[in-house]
Amino acid sequence: MFSKHVTKELSAYCHGEVANDQSRQIAEHLIGCNRCRRQFEEIKLGVKLAEHLPQISAPDSLWPNLQASLAAETRTNENAARQPAPFSFKVWQPSFAGVAAGLLIVAAFAGLWLYLRESRPFWEVARLNGAPRIGSSRMEEKGRLAVGQWLETDGDSRAQIEVGSIGQVEIDPNTRVRLVETKPTEHRLELAQGKMSARIWAPPHLFFVDTPAGVAADLGCAYTLEVNDQGIGLLHVTSGWVALQLKDRESMVPAGATCATQPGIGPGTPYFDDASENFRQALAKLDFGYAVDIPDLYSPLEVVLAESRPRDTLTLWHLLARVEGNDRTRVYERAAALVPPPDGVTREGVLQLDEQMLELWKERLETTW
Amino acid sequence: MEQRPVMVEPIVDERVIEACQAGDREAFRLLFETYKDRVFSIAVYSFSGDETAASDVCQQIFLKLLTSIGQFRGDSAFTTWLYRLVVNACIDEQRKRRRFLPFGESTPMSSIAERKPEEKHYAKVEIADSVQAAIKQLRPKLRMAILLKYVEDLSYEEIASVLGCSKGTVASRLNRGHQVLARKLVHLRNEVE
Repeated sequence: MFSKHVTKELSAYCHGEVANDQSRQIAEHLIGCNRCRRQFEEIKLGVKLAEHLPQISAPDSLWPNLQASLAAETRTNENAARQPAPFSFKVWQPSFAGVAAGLLIVAAFAGLWLYLRESRPFWEVARLNGAPRIGSSRMEEKGRLAVGQWLETDGDSRAQIEVGSIGQVEIDPNTRVRLVETKPTEHRLELAQGKMSARIWAPPHLFFVDTPAGVAADLGCAYTLEVNDQGIGLLHVTSGWVALQLKDRESMVPAGATCATQPGIGPGTPYFDDASENFRQALAKLDFGYAVDIPDLYSPLEVVLAESRPRDTLTLWHLLARVEGNDRTRVYERAAALVPPPDGVTREGVLQLDEQMLELWKERLETTW
Repeated sequence: MEQRPVMVEPIVDERVIEACQAGDREAFRLLFETYKDRVFSIAVYSFSGDETAASDVCQQIFLKLLTSIGQFRGDSAFTTWLYRLVVNACIDEQRKRRRFLPFGESTPMSSIAERKPEEKHYAKVEIADSVQAAIKQLRPKLRMAILLKYVEDLSYEEIASVLGCSKGTVASRLNRGHQVLARKLVHLRNEVE
């Protein structure tokens, strides 16, 4: 771990003004250092605010005024010295001047268009297998994915994307991704269909993946994300944390856990991969109403509660805000029996979804996740 | 006052500069059109929204540019040379004005926002107004670093060259500028994220 504090380098880091190695060291430090991370959040906000600073158009009167000043200066110089001014206007033939001005303007716009096209931010892409496509072109060994462009793989091809200096994303076969945004304060990819694996060594909330059923926000982690042809997503986290969100519904998914997400509904309740089959089936019915193989005698919630272990308080903690009335009370009682809430967290507070108490209890529960 | 997103227009190349040095009026017009908004923006922000002062100083800058462009030898990038001219002109003009104005007297930046009240409905404009007002309150050294970064889109090296300081100093001024902006406008966090 890079032990020296990095507060002085944070603006340069946000602007991509540090070397790749240093950028990685800073990112690693930020993951582990609360003090620097707080500063980073502040600097990042300052950067985002400053990005709203508009350029202001000069008034139309500026050029005529300038011409008048130049003419006056030229006259003064001529009268004083009877010699040519350092910069004197030549006699212009209107038709020639008009044509020349027109050509210059056309050339200027063509140059500007070409420049903007070429200067769009991009990510480096490497071909791993087969023939991935960027836009309408087949990729060579290396390629560039510019903002707005799609990268597509067929059944035989795979590719790897360098996410600036903060991570890598591997694109599996039959996948479509688009680079939505890449700037120091936000890198965003859209996964329309297929599967991708991401490894990100940046501070939280810098890398996002949009899917038809929610946004995956990286919290310093490694994960895989799949989207099927109906837009249903499945997130599996292998290291760190990922937040999966659609509107107000959010699931926090730690390493070793999985979370499904559906268009129009949003993220389901996260669960650990080693939870029992009955537990997972009942949760799928509870979240999305899937027809599953559990005895009609029991409600899905009863199965989830009965099958839960201390580690499954991850699921129960999320369920607290997603069920109501008596069901919430039952979830609370089961979770409290597995891992009692710490001092300062009351039954009434939790049942009323007091945010501070829920966070305090979560900190205790996390020791089992 | 018309505002638009920052856009880089790299249409002035060596040929245009050489043409300007040879006294080609159309080339100078092209150079003027390319840089007028960026130069004007720096001037407006430097004079806390006073457009008249900004127009005056812009005129001086382009006159100076015209008469001294023959001295440009290409030792640095043209933009670096130009922005040095801009920064020095703004500092000189501020010094002159300080002799005649009571301390702190200037046209409030909010006057820019007041010119188009209908645009107030748009959140982006409101954020931009707030940022402009906060920029006005920055110390001049911090403000100029922020302007060169966000209005002119210069790299740290270019800013260092324009301001005649080290890259580390640029980083430090930007860091401080970002912190001040974030602390003054923390209530806009949800709007910009």
